[in-house]
Amino acid sequence: MVLTYNFTNCDFTKIKEDYEKLIVGDFQTYINGTKSTQSSNYIFCSNQSDCLAKIESLTFGTHAGCGSLSKEMFACRTKATFAHRCPDYPRVKVNNTQAMKKRKKREDTAKECLKHVLRLQGLWRRFTRAP
Amino acid sequence: ESGYAQNGDLEDAEPDDYSFSCYSQLEVNGPQHTLTCAFDDPDVNSTNLDFEICKNLVGVECLHLSKLQDRYFLRTKKFLLVGDSKICVKLGDKKITCKNINIVEIVKPEAPFDVKVMYHEEAKEFVVTFNTSHSQKSYLTIKDLIHDVAYRQEKDEDNWMHKNLSNTKLTLLQRKLQPDAMYEIKVRSIPTDYFKGFWSEWSPSYHFRTSESKGEWMD
Amino acid sequence: EELQVQMICFNFETVQVTWNASQYPGTNLTFFYKFSPEEEYSPCPRYTVDQGHATGCLLGAKDAILYFSIRDGSRPVLTMDQWVSEYLKPSSPEDVRFSWHQEAVTVVCTNLSYNGLLYEVQYRSTFDTAWQSKEEKSCHVTVDGLDAEKCYSFRARIKASEVSYGSATHPSDWSETALWQGGQPRDRCPEKEPLS
Repeated sequence: MVLTYNFTNCDFTKIKEDYEKLIVGDFQTYINGTKSTQSSNYIFCSNQSDCLAKIESLTFGTHAGCGSLSKEMFACRTKATFAHRCPDYPRVKVNNTQAMKKRKKREDTAKECLKHVLRLQGLWRRFTRAP
Repeated sequence: ESGYAQNGDLEDAEPDDYSFSCYSQLEVNGPQHTLTCAFDDPDVNSTNLDFEICKNLVGVECLHLSKLQDRYFLRTKKFLLVGDSKICVKLGDKKITCKNINIVEIVKPEAPFDVKVMYHEEAKEFVVTFNTSHSQKSYLTIKDLIHDVAYRQEKDEDNWMHKNLSNTKLTLLQRKLQPDAMYEIKVRSIPTDYFKGFWSEWSPSYHFRTSESKGEWMD
Repeated sequence: EELQVQMICFNFETVQVTWNASQYPGTNLTFFYKFSPEEEYSPCPRYTVDQGHATGCLLGAKDAILYFSIRDGSRPVLTMDQWVSEYLKPSSPEDVRFSWHQEAVTVVCTNLSYNGLLYEVQYRSTFDTAWQSKEEKSCHVTVDGLDAEKCYSFRARIKASEVSYGSATHPSDWSETALWQGGQPRDRCPEKEPLS
């Protein structure tokens, strides 16, 4: 169960830096230059806390055809960033000790997961430029 | 106050100072980072002492550093790089001393290399260029570094002049250098902005000579 | 073969979607769009036409996801959604000013109203073959280590940062090139002036 947390009081500037300096590289490693022309049903977010709420839901939720992204490096870092930059972010054991997923996915799962990751990337980018 | 004798028994000996310092290097070997720690007092009795890092690691609770002469060393991909980790000196299971350290705040960049100086006769200037392995990295990139270019006349032992820059090219005007003189130049880098830490080692030096007449230079 | 589509978002004011009309010879494709999944599609307000064929659509923009459908009659040929920001082309720098202090110049211009941009200044002297670049996150870029005796060209443009917009954006057009020597504006730089 993914807890819905109110991200309004987070340190957006620091989260933006964590994204720019660390998480962007993790997405790049994951996506590895795969250009998906297929429509990805992007998700809109209006302001920074709305973006973070949707990022959390998409990162740690489970998705048909993909399963969970929560063991990917970008997810581990997203959780660590929330835990570090958002006051009282649920200390549900920020379980970094889940072994990082070895990424040997079936082709169709990989494709489905990539859609979610591209949506995540869209939300993060919007977060960094949201007013 | 207590100290530790060779055999680990508690004894009223002069307490050893187990303070220590560490530095990290990011993506030194592909995606692998390194952590290097050493006791501040080189004469400390480090028999049976170990280093361990816990917290903000991916997939594990703690990692053990291996001892290499007077240093303790770890190579891993498991640094989360967000938030503090806890580094402890241990004697068996007993924690002697610990520190909370954020890996991205103790970064020591790799030394720049390939320092070159080209004389641009028409413009009467020396163009200094160098390279850094950080231009290929994902985390500590070239944008996250400041470089210190130091140059001196070889006969002026300690009279180093310094220029700080954020890119890898510098122009030295001939009229600001001594004519007919042998110069030495070298470069080092330090993290800036999000990443913090220490100066890298100096690059290998490059030597060039200014010449009064035709402005040739000799490498 | 999927219809090839290009998109450019001009400064979040207008967005232009163009398609390869030759993939559907003899047909006039039509374009419908909306900015949220709940809305109804609206017809293209203004087509771009070439040799009597619709080749694209020009419509108002905002920082949002554009949902669009290109149809052959009533049959959808391509239905897609995309953040228009991914194809942003900022407007050129305006009100570019220079202030000199010894061997350094600070170039200032009006910041655009949205975030995630990089303001780039390029400069070279008459002795340089290539431009050198300096960029900052706001339009306040200082270039130092310049030689007061040399004549320099400067130009500025605005780029969308990859962190905030991805890698498919377009840099703005360059500002006008400005010439300076010894802290004074010049109409032109001497070919290769002799240096003392």
